[in-house]
Formats: sequence, structure tokens, C-alpha cells
Amino acid sequence: MMTQEFRARPPRIAAWLVDLFAPDETETIAGDLLEEFSELASKLGVTSARRWYRRQSVKTIAHLFATAFRDAPWLIACTTVAGYYLFGFGYGLPERVIVAILNLHRHGVVPYFTQSQMDFHIFWLNSGIYVGRLLVSLLVGCIVAMAAKGREMVAAMTLGFITAGLPWAGYLLWAAKHRDAFPPAFLPFLVNILGGSVLIVVGGGIVRKIRVSRSASPADYLRSYPDH
Amino acid sequence: MSGRDYLGEFEHIVILALLRLGDRAYGVTVRQEIESRTRREVSIGAIYATLNRLEAKGYVKSHLGDPTAERGGRSKRFFHVTAKGLATVNRTHRALQGMTEGLNLIERYS
Repeated sequence: MMTQEFRARPPRIAAWLVDLFAPDETETIAGDLLEEFSELASKLGVTSARRWYRRQSVKTIAHLFATAFRDAPWLIACTTVAGYYLFGFGYGLPERVIVAILNLHRHGVVPYFTQSQMDFHIFWLNSGIYVGRLLVSLLVGCIVAMAAKGREMVAAMTLGFITAGLPWAGYLLWAAKHRDAFPPAFLPFLVNILGGSVLIVVGGGIVRKIRVSRSASPADYLRSYPDH
Repeated sequence: MSGRDYLGEFEHIVILALLRLGDRAYGVTVRQEIESRTRREVSIGAIYATLNRLEAKGYVKSHLGDPTAERGGRSKRFFHVTAKGLATVNRTHRALQGMTEGLNLIERYS
């Protein structure tokens, strides 16, 4: 029979994040956390147990992150550097492709015949390139995660921090030096870069989830039937 | 691996917890044992990071138990100290005893 404590569920996001970061320990770490969570929920109540679970998850993820760096520094460093160059190469790719397609489409006719032709051109130059860059970021995140087998999230997050951190640090340094000047043109680029960095991490998460689901053990059968 | 290896502070604590717990030693019990005896909150991630390092060094071994319902159908990973681990604990312990001998730490520094 299921008890009330057993039905109490740990915070979803925290549990999901532990699953993402735990390299080969998903099974045991998640099980240990759930066991202690259930114990605490029956002793102290669900709210306290959830608070404990969140605190443990944050500490555990921090440890797993640090451990991945200590255990496989070269793997993380190589995948991050290779990912950074790949990102640098891929970042300009959508623009080149879209401009080439647009040039092909208008058959070299300048100026435009109609307003709609011009709107079409501007739409693809603005939105198309932006979306293309985001897709490239997602793809780079997936490739880096695939290369950093077992440490997908650490490699993808490191690359995400670097790709977002370097331009932002440059911008802040520039802004500190030139306090009177404000470079508004630079901000959309930074927002674009930030979006790209988020998608690099998302790409890492997708690869991680696929890998975990492929290596799912027979215990998953039990997990889907909590009454057993 | 040289024969002069010593355990780090947390490694030492974790192995002592394994020795205390015997065949009941897995993530939850190790964490609780350390927390109750040292009165310091440790994360399950820190325990596994240390246990994995100790296993890589050959000081502990692990095996998976059966999946249980209270763990959402997940298995427990039980750990035990190997002969090599035991020798290293003793060596570390002797080194610490040698260093603290005659210092009367509790009276002088507490």
C-alpha cells in the first residue's frame, strides 16, 4: 500500500537537474535523494523535505560539476576549445547562406522592384540570420555534448559560459572605459550571443537526456509503477 | 600508486564511515553516519565524488543491490573497504597518531 509520505514528490526541477548532471550515478544518487526525502517528509513534513532536497541538489550538482573538471580536465578543455572554434565558424554561417540564397532569389536585380521584395529581403536578413545563429548554437551544444561523453552538461555549460561571458566582459570593460558613450548597436549582438549560449546548454541537455534514456536500466520499469 | 599514499581528510572520514556501517554502507547511510558523527552537513554528491575516487584508487569496491519501491525503483549502491583501503587507513591513522602524540591537543587548544 502506498503511504502518504511515499506519494510526496520531490521538487521536479531539482530532481530533473540532478538527473542531468549526475554522470553515471543517476540511478544511485537520485534513489538516495528520494529515499532520504521520503524519510524527511514523514518526520518533518513535505515542505521541510522539499527544502532539504533543493539544498542537497544544488550542493550535489556543484560537486558533480567540480568533480568532472578534476576527473577529466583535458576532455572538458578540449571539447570546450573545439566547441568555441566551431561556434565561431558556425556563427557567421547563417548570414552567408541567407545572403547567398537571397542573391540567388533576386537574380542580381538592384534596386528592388516592389516593396514586398524588400520586406522579404529585410525579414530574412534580420530574423533568418538570428534564428539560424540560434540553431547553429543548438547544434554546437549537441556536438560538444556528444564529444564529452558522460560529462555532457559540464562541457556544454562551460562553453555556454565562455561564449556568453567573453563578449559581455568585453562590453562591460568597454563601457567602464567610455562612460559617456553608449554603444546601443552592440546590445542586440550581446542578447543574440546570450540566447546562443542558452541554446548551447539546451543542446547539451538534449544529448544528455537521450543518452540517459538509451542506457535506462530495467529498474525504470519499476519506476513507472510506483505501487510495486 | 606508491605504497606511501595517505588519505585526504574527507576520504579518511568516508572510509571510517564505511568501516562502521559494514554491509549497510550505501549513499544514504554513509551520509547520515558522517553527518551525525561530525555534525557537518555533507551532500550526497560529495559522498559519491569521494567514493568514486576511492574506488578508482582501489580502496573501496561497490556493487548494486536490488531496486526498491521506496527509492522509486532505483538500486542502492553498496560499498565495502578493500584490503588495500584498510592498509591505507591504518597508514594514515598511524601518521596522524605520530603527529599528534604528546601534543595534548584537547587541553591545550580547545
